[in-house]
Amino acid sequence: MFKNYIKIAWRNVTKNKLVFLINIIGLSIGLTACLLMFIYIKSELSYDKFQNKGDRIARVIMEYSFGDGTFNKGNYTSARVLPVFKNEFPEVESGTRVFNQTILIYAKENTYEEDNFVFVDSSFFNVLSGFKLIEGNPNDVLNGTNKIVLTRSSAKKYFGNENPIGKTLKLGIAQTEYEVTGISEDCPQNSQVKYNVLASFQNMKNAREDTYWNANYTTYLLLKQPGGLAALQDKINRFMMQETKEMQNVTIRYELEPFLDIHLHSPYPGIEANSNIKYIYITAGIAILMLIIASSTYINLSTVRSMERAKEVGIRKVAGATKQQVFWQFIAESFLLSCLALIASIGLTMLTLPSFNYLAGIQISLLEALNPATILAGILIIVTITLLAGIYPAMVLANFLPVRILKGAYKNTRSGMTLRKGLTTFQFTISAFLICATVIMYQQLSYIQNKEMGYNKEQILVLPSDNTINNKLAVFKTELKKNNNIQYVSATVNTPINIVGGYNIQRRRDLDEQISVTATPIDEEFLQASGLTLVAGENLTLQDIDAVNKNEEEAFYNFILNESAAQKLGWTAEEAVNKPLLMGERNGRVKGVVKDFHFQSIHHEITPLVLFPEGWYNIIMVKMNTANVDQTLAHIQKVWSEVAPHRPFKYNFLDEQFEKMYSTEKRTGTIILIFASIAIALASLGLFGLSSYSIIIRAKEIGIRKVLGSSISNIVGILSKDFIKMVFIASLLAIPLAWFAMNSWLSDFSYRIKLEWWMFALSAIVAILIAFLTIAMQSVKAAMAKPVNSLRDE
Amino acid sequence: MIQLEKIFKWVNSGANRVFLLQDINLEIEKGEFVSIMGPSGSGKSTLLNVIGMLDGFDEGKYTFQGEPVHQLKEKQKSALYKKHIGFVFQAYHLIDELTVYENIETPLLYQDLKSSERKARVADILDRFNIVGKKDLFPAQLSGGQQQLVGIARALVAQPQLILADEPTGNLNSKQGEEIMELFKQLNKEGVTIIQVTHSEKNATYGSKVIELLDGRIVNRH
Repeated sequence: MFKNYIKIAWRNVTKNKLVFLINIIGLSIGLTACLLMFIYIKSELSYDKFQNKGDRIARVIMEYSFGDGTFNKGNYTSARVLPVFKNEFPEVESGTRVFNQTILIYAKENTYEEDNFVFVDSSFFNVLSGFKLIEGNPNDVLNGTNKIVLTRSSAKKYFGNENPIGKTLKLGIAQTEYEVTGISEDCPQNSQVKYNVLASFQNMKNAREDTYWNANYTTYLLLKQPGGLAALQDKINRFMMQETKEMQNVTIRYELEPFLDIHLHSPYPGIEANSNIKYIYITAGIAILMLIIASSTYINLSTVRSMERAKEVGIRKVAGATKQQVFWQFIAESFLLSCLALIASIGLTMLTLPSFNYLAGIQISLLEALNPATILAGILIIVTITLLAGIYPAMVLANFLPVRILKGAYKNTRSGMTLRKGLTTFQFTISAFLICATVIMYQQLSYIQNKEMGYNKEQILVLPSDNTINNKLAVFKTELKKNNNIQYVSATVNTPINIVGGYNIQRRRDLDEQISVTATPIDEEFLQASGLTLVAGENLTLQDIDAVNKNEEEAFYNFILNESAAQKLGWTAEEAVNKPLLMGERNGRVKGVVKDFHFQSIHHEITPLVLFPEGWYNIIMVKMNTANVDQTLAHIQKVWSEVAPHRPFKYNFLDEQFEKMYSTEKRTGTIILIFASIAIALASLGLFGLSSYSIIIRAKEIGIRKVLGSSISNIVGILSKDFIKMVFIASLLAIPLAWFAMNSWLSDFSYRIKLEWWMFALSAIVAILIAFLTIAMQSVKAAMAKPVNSLRDE
Repeated sequence: MIQLEKIFKWVNSGANRVFLLQDINLEIEKGEFVSIMGPSGSGKSTLLNVIGMLDGFDEGKYTFQGEPVHQLKEKQKSALYKKHIGFVFQAYHLIDELTVYENIETPLLYQDLKSSERKARVADILDRFNIVGKKDLFPAQLSGGQQQLVGIARALVAQPQLILADEPTGNLNSKQGEEIMELFKQLNKEGVTIIQVTHSEKNATYGSKVIELLDGRIVNRH
């Protein structure tokens, strides 16, 4: 019986190749989208689950305040927290502190900048026992100073094919020797703690600090029992009240976060950024939407085609088939189709996985993606599709009365018309919504791209700096400028595109008013190199920088403010110049005022900013003025190797950093664009099938109209009218949705485009145009057909 | 075999009740060959469909082999005709996507027969109708007469006691038509009860009994 079902399903497929193609393409695309999202969701949900003691681990979050009402909170604690907690609370069995650093590593003749060098306690492999050692004993690989553990990949990187155990690496500018005592597997992709090299926490000079301040480390506690966090939390709260009793106005609190909830639920990142459970919901929502859109196309085509299948159903029923048997036959048919679509979509998934990884900013390999769970999910999805898409058509067909069908009454069947119209309208509503979202997102992105930021970001090379380089800064600058293509060289702490650092300023010490500002140390060439405009006063000089490096009594600061800071202090730019100013303990005067510029992403408003001399830097910006970047780079590298032989020549460009700041927006834009394209393609496919059947149904009507003298354009109009009306209604429905969603998206930007009526109109026109083109070809063909063909009665 | 007592069937069109069948009283014995005649719209096909249980009726009693059809549920009726009745149509109504063999096999699929049993029965019928050579062809590759032959083969394969034929020769030329009627006669001789609807006086003569309908009433029987 089943064989017969499959056989007839297959014959129907081969008979109606177009319908088959539409269905299979639609379902495959929908399924692929679903599978990719499933892979993504699964990877996100699996985060840290490989840590077999995960349910007993808690991360300590610190919250502190100096009594001015503002609380700071984050994933940092001082070195003291772990030893004290272990001592004080019997619930705590063990724990580890984690501190990630970028460090220079000297291996043989090469120097590397290792970004993922992590200091941890010797208990690390006991607490995070999901990390497996290939070489070395978990209890003592990090027990003692100057010991390091490499991952399999980093061992290969630093030692090639040699066995690194017992060998040494030189670390940091001081080139301290560390012995390799262990090798572990590489960190799994789905781990919040990631390292390339581990070193013992005891190596850090601050490791034994006896303070709750200097909170620079992340503390993970291993509890004796899972659960019971709330009880322990109470004890910690009481304990900390005691500990801080002596400190005036100061509040310090510690909160425990369940380790396994961190990746999706915590606002504070691990060593790498967290995701958000919200994204999981959105992704799941989109996956379901895709499935519904793809299934809608299938439902539409199946019910429309039911008139073709009606005769068969009638005969089968007369031959003794029960309703259930007919029903299951059609379910089997959609199951077969779904299976074919699943096979196609597994191929598609494999093909698109790399691009998807890139888009979603994740790293999932084919092997991880195609595990039994994915296959199982695929099967679950096709069962869902089969039921979702198959049930209605199967029910319609199974309920046909054979008498009516065999008499020929089925030819004019309009069953399911409302449903089809509803589904098509739904598909186009989603499509129009996504088109609208795409239009608006790209408007905002181009607004960001073209907005006058107030600084120059082109042709600026950014290099790292350290004390060794800072000491030779003058030589470095002179040597670099020997090349005429190099205009300015500025040492600084932040680039103009993203300045961070919280300070307070006040006009006079005796005044109670304090203003919070963002501030950063700069040198005398920062303004020129960044292309900032001085509106009043003067730029810093080398003397100004020397003036702050005197002893505390004599140190004098010359400040550069932005217009917002001057205004906040109650001055115009001109008035501000030479006014005395205090920033924390730094005493000085305003030397210049620069025009406001966007020193943070345009999600933020421009706030008061202070640029000040400090004589300490960690990056160097080189402003070039040339088309010949290669030759200039070669020159910079040559100078670098002379001035900073201890560091690899590792640089990037400021405009690239700028682009990166908006990568999330770009990514979102691309993702929405892709979904919009898929949605509109699926909707159009459905519409195409629907309209071609509508033409078949109305063939006689068209013939009669033609005989009565109707023109071709007239007939095309009649055939398209209903569909265009649906799409028009869909576009209208999409407008409030899009307005609401995009308004909330845009509200995240302090500087944003205004929503204009034309954006919505454009989206509606695009949707209608696509729909019209989809229908028009067939309609014209039908309108041009000879009427005799359709009027000849069988 | 079949007893119809005061069968009425109607449709409501606005305030009016239009009768399709009125006061039909009919008894058909096993082994009869009955022809139903009458002008277009007289209710011939409707009567045939009622007898075949494909269509319902609004009033009256219908007993088929002792079973009160008017009291049966849809499922029971379907089980009943599946077992006892074969249908032949004017437009053949073969499934276009299935081969001759598969078309004939279809009723057996719904009878829970073993695959080997099905094969044997289909092979039998193919042999008997001399269409073994055509078993892998699709309906579109056959002439009208051949298609109707397949239609009859399909009706017979489940070994029904009753064949209902709705103008079986209506789409055929006279020679093909004659062959089909001869076949019916032969089947009747072998004990199959046949009820056919026909326009043709000539075809009616093959039967043992003629029932004439007009406006849903039996006006003559001979």
